[in-house]
Amino acid sequence: MRNSTYLKMGLNMLLHSKLRSWLTIIGIVIGVGSVIGIVSLGDAMQASIQSELAEMDLTKITISPGYTKASSNMHGPPGMGGGGTSTDAELTDDDIDALQGLDSVQYIAGEISGSEEVKYTGETATLSITGVDPQVWKYMTTLETQSGRLLEPADKYVAVIGSGIASETYDHDIGVNQVITVNNKSVRVVGILTEEGMGDDSNIYMPIDGAVDLIEDAQEDVYDSITVKAKSEDLVDGLTEDIEKRLMVSRHIIQEDDRDFSLTASKSMAESVTEMMSSMTLFLGAIAAVSLLVGAVGIANTMFTSVLEKTKEIGTMKAIGAKNRDILMIFLFNSAMVGLVGGILGVILGSFVSSGLQAMMGSDMTGGGSGVRISLMFEGLALAVMIGVISGVVPAYRASKLKPVDALRYE
Amino acid sequence: MTLTEIIDSFKTKLDPSKIMNSLEKAASFNAESENDSEGNDSREDLKINPYNNSGNDSAKSSNAIRISQNGEDPLIKLTDVWKIYQMGEVEFAALKGITLEIYEGEFLVVLGPSGSGKSTLMNLLGCLDIPSKGKVCLNSKDISELDESELALIRGQMIGFIFQSFNLIPTLSTEENVLLPLEFQEEDRHISRQKAAYLLDIVGLTDKKKNLPSQLSGGQRQRVAIARSLAVNPPIILADEPTGNLDTKTGDYILGFLDGLHEREGKTIIIVTHDLDIVKYATRVVYIRDGEIEKIEKRTKNEPEGLK
Repeated sequence: MRNSTYLKMGLNMLLHSKLRSWLTIIGIVIGVGSVIGIVSLGDAMQASIQSELAEMDLTKITISPGYTKASSNMHGPPGMGGGGTSTDAELTDDDIDALQGLDSVQYIAGEISGSEEVKYTGETATLSITGVDPQVWKYMTTLETQSGRLLEPADKYVAVIGSGIASETYDHDIGVNQVITVNNKSVRVVGILTEEGMGDDSNIYMPIDGAVDLIEDAQEDVYDSITVKAKSEDLVDGLTEDIEKRLMVSRHIIQEDDRDFSLTASKSMAESVTEMMSSMTLFLGAIAAVSLLVGAVGIANTMFTSVLEKTKEIGTMKAIGAKNRDILMIFLFNSAMVGLVGGILGVILGSFVSSGLQAMMGSDMTGGGSGVRISLMFEGLALAVMIGVISGVVPAYRASKLKPVDALRYE
Repeated sequence: MTLTEIIDSFKTKLDPSKIMNSLEKAASFNAESENDSEGNDSREDLKINPYNNSGNDSAKSSNAIRISQNGEDPLIKLTDVWKIYQMGEVEFAALKGITLEIYEGEFLVVLGPSGSGKSTLMNLLGCLDIPSKGKVCLNSKDISELDESELALIRGQMIGFIFQSFNLIPTLSTEENVLLPLEFQEEDRHISRQKAAYLLDIVGLTDKKKNLPSQLSGGQRQRVAIARSLAVNPPIILADEPTGNLDTKTGDYILGFLDGLHEREGKTIIIVTHDLDIVKYATRVVYIRDGEIEKIEKRTKNEPEGLK
């Protein structure tokens, strides 16, 4: 028998058992739909994170005081993984000096930070202030201003503020060259940052010399963190190790247990975020795959019923010349067709679910919604047909192996 | 002898042009005797006979062994055939040592009450089953030695089945049902369609070719089944209670049609039945009871029952 005839017979079977076929197809639609929906949502989220990461400076390594053993594997900052944190550790100019000579370092700068009351037109708000080195900050930061300028080396009591502070924190908007009061000291706003949608929108950046005077508990030449910028992204891993070694020596630390600083490379952070995202997509995809599996069991079930129901027809076909292979192929084509129809509808459903979810979660999470990849649609279809064929193998084989005499006698 | 040679040897017995003529005669017979069919008034249009083509596969091998009609070489030969079914721990013998020879061109009626083993016998004759003991030989070839695909080939090319309950595929149209055996033999689509059209015309169902079996009457369904059984132009027609589900008039038409095939085509007709009336068409009657042949009776056609 020719393939086109198998196809015709398979389709004929599908069309003539409407209700049961459709119920089976619904199973596959839901399975394929959820896989497509979740995977493409994962894609969109990953794409958005990736674009966010692309904006990130991946050459930065941040040194923070204190060290948590639990976080040692990812050189994370203290307090992230619980466990004991070594206290009283400080980062000072000595540390910066120790790192100056490293070949891969492009820039190095200490930072201090704190939360202080900031007044503007009689209103007070507690805002975080970061003191940065005005000599190098503009080279190290990826932030940009929407108006005004970034910090210059000669600045002291001036500030660059986040867009949120400028437009939302106070009743009156803050503009460039207006003055805010931090701990009773006037600070002139020289620049307003472009909106980032992250913490930077509500941060105030000041030259470190000025910030030391304004932030309580801050000390001269003592930093809350030191940021090192590598000459290139490839050098980050090596540099991280070098920094670690240098600091261990300069801080006279012999044993790992006594270590009192942590390193965070934005590159490794980015990597772990990406990794987390893909494992989350994988996890959700696996849940969706379970529904696909249920759909597959549904096809197998329907096919078994169909074989039983068509036993007499199978007997008749064998009597008039059908070979075992013919019967096998007719049933396989039928179940492949169930998979195909389910797959087509599933892809459509999945696209709707995906765009619906993306719309619900907003453009921040998904990068504005990128729809469903064409390749994913074809993968979904191929998967559905494959599931149809696989679920149909055993019932079709059984049908093909029926003895004609028994099949004809079946009532 | 290979299986193909066996099949060819049967096919060469039939002259395609002879088939044509006789089928057309059968059609005119049909028009007279079947009153529940409409649209049969186009007999004269029956000009193109797809079975008459020179390229027809039924005349493939000229050197294949021919079976003589003088009765020396049986078409089907059963030698001490037993069919034993295991029913739990009990063995039940449906056939007990049947020995029977069927010759080409016979109109054989296997007559017996229900439970006599006649359906089991038909299954063996139709290569639908193999015996538990003994031999069933088709043209001297033991069917027990053939695998399933070889048996399928024999069934598909040599035997036309007609069942009591018609056994049409309910989801296929009348035409598709007739085409099905040709599809299994991968016959050229164009020729297949011509053949189906021809056969449907013969049985007077051209206007019903798009109908599903459920839209046909019992008699019409059996006519479709006959058209289907003739699709591959098999030398043997095997019918299991072909009139069992039909009224007398329609039943007579069906039997008349089969008789026409036998008379004019020389086809070997084997009917398994419990209906004594069918005996009048037979050239030989095999009486079967409790799995054994009670007696075999040679007959002259249309001789009244009981005069023998």
